[in-house]
Amino acid sequence: MSVNFLNPFLNAAKSVLAAEVGAQVNRGAVTLETNCLTPQDVTVLLSVVGDIHGVVLYSMDIGMALAMVSQMLGQEQEEFDDLAQSGIAELGNVITGVVTTYLAEAGYHCSISVPTLVIGRGTLLSTLDFKRVVVPLSTEMGRMFIHIALREDSSRGLARLTRHSM
Amino acid sequence: MMQQKILIVDDAKFMRVRCARILVERGYSVVEAENGIQAIEKYQNEAPDAVLMDISMPEMDGLNALRAIRELDPAARVAMLTAMGQQNVVIEAIKAGARDFIVKPFEPDRILKSLSKLLM
Repeated sequence: MSVNFLNPFLNAAKSVLAAEVGAQVNRGAVTLETNCLTPQDVTVLLSVVGDIHGVVLYSMDIGMALAMVSQMLGQEQEEFDDLAQSGIAELGNVITGVVTTYLAEAGYHCSISVPTLVIGRGTLLSTLDFKRVVVPLSTEMGRMFIHIALREDSSRGLARLTRHSM
Repeated sequence: MMQQKILIVDDAKFMRVRCARILVERGYSVVEAENGIQAIEKYQNEAPDAVLMDISMPEMDGLNALRAIRELDPAARVAMLTAMGQQNVVIEAIKAGARDFIVKPFEPDRILKSLSKLLM
């Protein structure tokens, strides 16, 4: 169940956003969703494969995306051009990379795909039968929503069952 | 004093631009490459004093580019830029001759300290 993987994402997002953009992060109410997701202006999507698999999405409005890129670059970024897109994708990449180290410490080894960006509102994204844990994170730059649709690999559960029955 | 030249290798444009700004502000000159193949070409053509190289890249990854560069120049000074979760690659890179590792996210000072070490 994805909710078990919540803390690694929270801790990673807090530490990376503090280090990269100097943002203090406050967590809002966590929800479990199965319906299609209507993303905000900018969504970074990464796949996770290995002992845990599924997708993770980081969604935010354009103002927050530009504010974060400006902070990372140390200069005002007014357009969401290819440089800004690369910066936001990299931020999602780094947060998820940190998550994988936390998961590895807990015995789950996994790797992540290159990031994909979904730009524009109004699109419907579906994680099909994967339930999503949705975590709103408030910062002074705006709100980011992390959608976590992850499952433990079924063979791990089987291995655990086998171990317990021995 | 002659300006020292640094080759920045990363497929993410943002990372190249960000590193370049940090380095140019401190008086370094910068050459960029988007993947391992370009990195080898630029190393041969530009003869940089040091290389900052990402690990995960298309075409040719940082580890293979590091090996190729060290074969061309056994004294090549290369620091790897790594994302968290790539610790297994770190050991391979040490064996291949990487002199330092910069883990993302990083502060500008971390890059500058690494270069000072590399260029001693």
